[in-house]
Amino acid sequence: MRELSKALLAGGLALVAAPLYMSAQAQDYIDLEAERERSARSEATAESRPDPYAPQAARSYPATSFGVRGAPAPTQQAQAPSPVDGGAAAQGAAGPVSGGSASGGGNVGQLFMTVQRLQQEVMRLNGIVEEQAHELRSLREQSLERYVDLDRRLGLLAGADPGAAGGAASAVGPSSSGESAAAPEQSGEREAYQSAYNLVRDQQFDQAVSAFQQFLQDYPAGRFAPNAYYWLGELHLVTRPPDLEAARQSFTLLLELYPQDQKVPDALFKLGKLHFEKGERDKAREFLERVVSQHASSGSGAVNLARDFLRNNY
Amino acid sequence: MKAIRVFLLTAWALFLAHSVRAELVIEITQGMDNPTAIAVAPFDWAGAGTPPEDVAQVIENDLARSGQFAPVDRGDMLARPTRQQEIFYRDWRAINSEYLLIGRVSVTDSIQMRIEYELYDVNRQVRILNGYEEGHVRDARMLSHRVADEVYETLTGVRGAFATRLLYVAVERVPGEKSVYRLTMSDSDGARPVVLLESREPLLAPSWSPDAKHIAYVSFETSRPAIFRQELATGAREQLTNFQGLNGSPAWSPDGRRMAMVLSKDGSPDIYVMDLGSKALTRITRHYAIDTEPTWSPDGRSIYFTSDRGGRPQIYRYDMASGNTERVTFEGRYNARARLAQDGRSMVVVHQSDGQFHIALQDLVSKRLFVLTSTDLDESPSIAPNGSMVLYATKSGDRGILAAVSVDGGVKFRLPSREGDVREPAWSPFLPRGQ
Repeated sequence: MRELSKALLAGGLALVAAPLYMSAQAQDYIDLEAERERSARSEATAESRPDPYAPQAARSYPATSFGVRGAPAPTQQAQAPSPVDGGAAAQGAAGPVSGGSASGGGNVGQLFMTVQRLQQEVMRLNGIVEEQAHELRSLREQSLERYVDLDRRLGLLAGADPGAAGGAASAVGPSSSGESAAAPEQSGEREAYQSAYNLVRDQQFDQAVSAFQQFLQDYPAGRFAPNAYYWLGELHLVTRPPDLEAARQSFTLLLELYPQDQKVPDALFKLGKLHFEKGERDKAREFLERVVSQHASSGSGAVNLARDFLRNNY
Repeated sequence: MKAIRVFLLTAWALFLAHSVRAELVIEITQGMDNPTAIAVAPFDWAGAGTPPEDVAQVIENDLARSGQFAPVDRGDMLARPTRQQEIFYRDWRAINSEYLLIGRVSVTDSIQMRIEYELYDVNRQVRILNGYEEGHVRDARMLSHRVADEVYETLTGVRGAFATRLLYVAVERVPGEKSVYRLTMSDSDGARPVVLLESREPLLAPSWSPDAKHIAYVSFETSRPAIFRQELATGAREQLTNFQGLNGSPAWSPDGRRMAMVLSKDGSPDIYVMDLGSKALTRITRHYAIDTEPTWSPDGRSIYFTSDRGGRPQIYRYDMASGNTERVTFEGRYNARARLAQDGRSMVVVHQSDGQFHIALQDLVSKRLFVLTSTDLDESPSIAPNGSMVLYATKSGDRGILAAVSVDGGVKFRLPSREGDVREPAWSPFLPRGQ
């Protein structure tokens, strides 16, 4: 008996000290529990009292079960006259089961099993709570990140005089002499753009979408048209629910109509991310690699973002 | 019953090390894509007879093992300079060597060894490092490792960890009898193994004190598992625990004054901290789930441990100041046996994915998890003190071997034992000079 418990201890410690027998890791965890049960049982047999619940207890511990199925009916549990108090039950968990009649021992055994099942159940629920709390936290962080990113871009826009340079929305890049810069500014265009843009700042995204759409109707070849396409793309991503297809169209229009605009790397990056979210990994990769390969010297922040994204996801 | 022998770590034990079994042999399985070419010319030998150690070869092997360097083959060298005036840079440019290391070894009174070395940048044609190492001739390999450390740091900017040691448990299976467990210490390259303790009962979880002067481990030599502390210099042992149930996973605090451990004396396995001076115990966790495998953050402010309190083994962090416990790993159904890098920014764990057990690195800042290994049944990861490599135990065929992988997953090598199983590696901290 001593040899047996020693062997069991060996198994248990091997697990604790280092998961040497990891192929059977689940089994190890059970072993440890089984060890406890068995030590309780060995005490019982030492008093030469047959324990009809022992084999059942051992059976009731499959790796996958969390103790819901096969458990005694809860009403039975509640109604069972308990000759032992909670303290005795806890003692049972610790090892020795002493005193009481045979039926009393059975009740203790049942209580013990119930406690074990409850523990398993609590552990399982605990795991779910932990994971959901984590999910919530990372979602919150993500949305904050998205907001900060948006806010940063808005701040850049607000800081720059929209008329000073073409595509001023992207202050990260040096002002290039793209097509957008060449487009003449029409009267009233700047005001219309600014008011649409103010809606973005106020986080009135739905109204901003309509405002930018109106802006593009009024000033289809306007100086701020590329920016408007870009913002439309961004806005379609943050409206609820996000309209990935509309966003894709806006970004694609920007690429096709203004291939020299300095918003192009950003649009490419966004298209990459968009396709990634749709699960089109290959397509996403194509766009992201275009950012890195074609715009590495543009100084655009999108290049680093694309590079990081590629590194983290491919 | 007490089939246990303690080996004193004396000069003689070190000197006779080659006779010890379970020597590890290194096989590089994956290097970096574009390692730096460096030529280590054979060092000049000023002494009687043959040199005790091919110093240049030891340095070359160290650099090659890091995966970041591609040493030039000696057969390709057009010259073998040992002094600055003997160097013709075109000889080295011709074989595309970016750097050149030369040196001289001398021994006085057949005791004191001196290694002088100079490192040159071939393209810029300048000397970028020179220095010397001095010590007892029996420590020739350790002195060579120190030179390799200096070269490595000069060229990579990261402190070298070649002059460090490994602890591991070598298991010799004896048919029809109990296996023989040997707690073994070797150089970081697996050379010079020294058996510190031999037992017919299992030896587990060796760990280093932060000053690398003591080790702790779990031995089954008494009727139950117990934690022992052993002084390396004298072999003196002290049994720290003798509690009912499990006594396992000793982990020294960074200040060396306390030890985290797992005890099940109060029911289920929980984490405790023992003050090594007073032997007083503080209970850290109190949970009916299994809490095990504690390890300290380098700042000593928190203890990371494995627990299945969420239904599956995951890593949790206990904050010493607040007493709060938070879950750290969320990716995958199984993450266990954490070890933190010295900068405290990342941690390695045993991670289960697709039913296989791999070593993974979790960035503690970005919370991202990277799987580093592609072998299965990987276990017991241990990080080099400079944070560059992770040593772990795995299986090759039916044998337990040690393997290493760089923290970016790019460099891999294996240290298979010539015979028997090897498991539970523990990489030492940086060693003080002369140790």
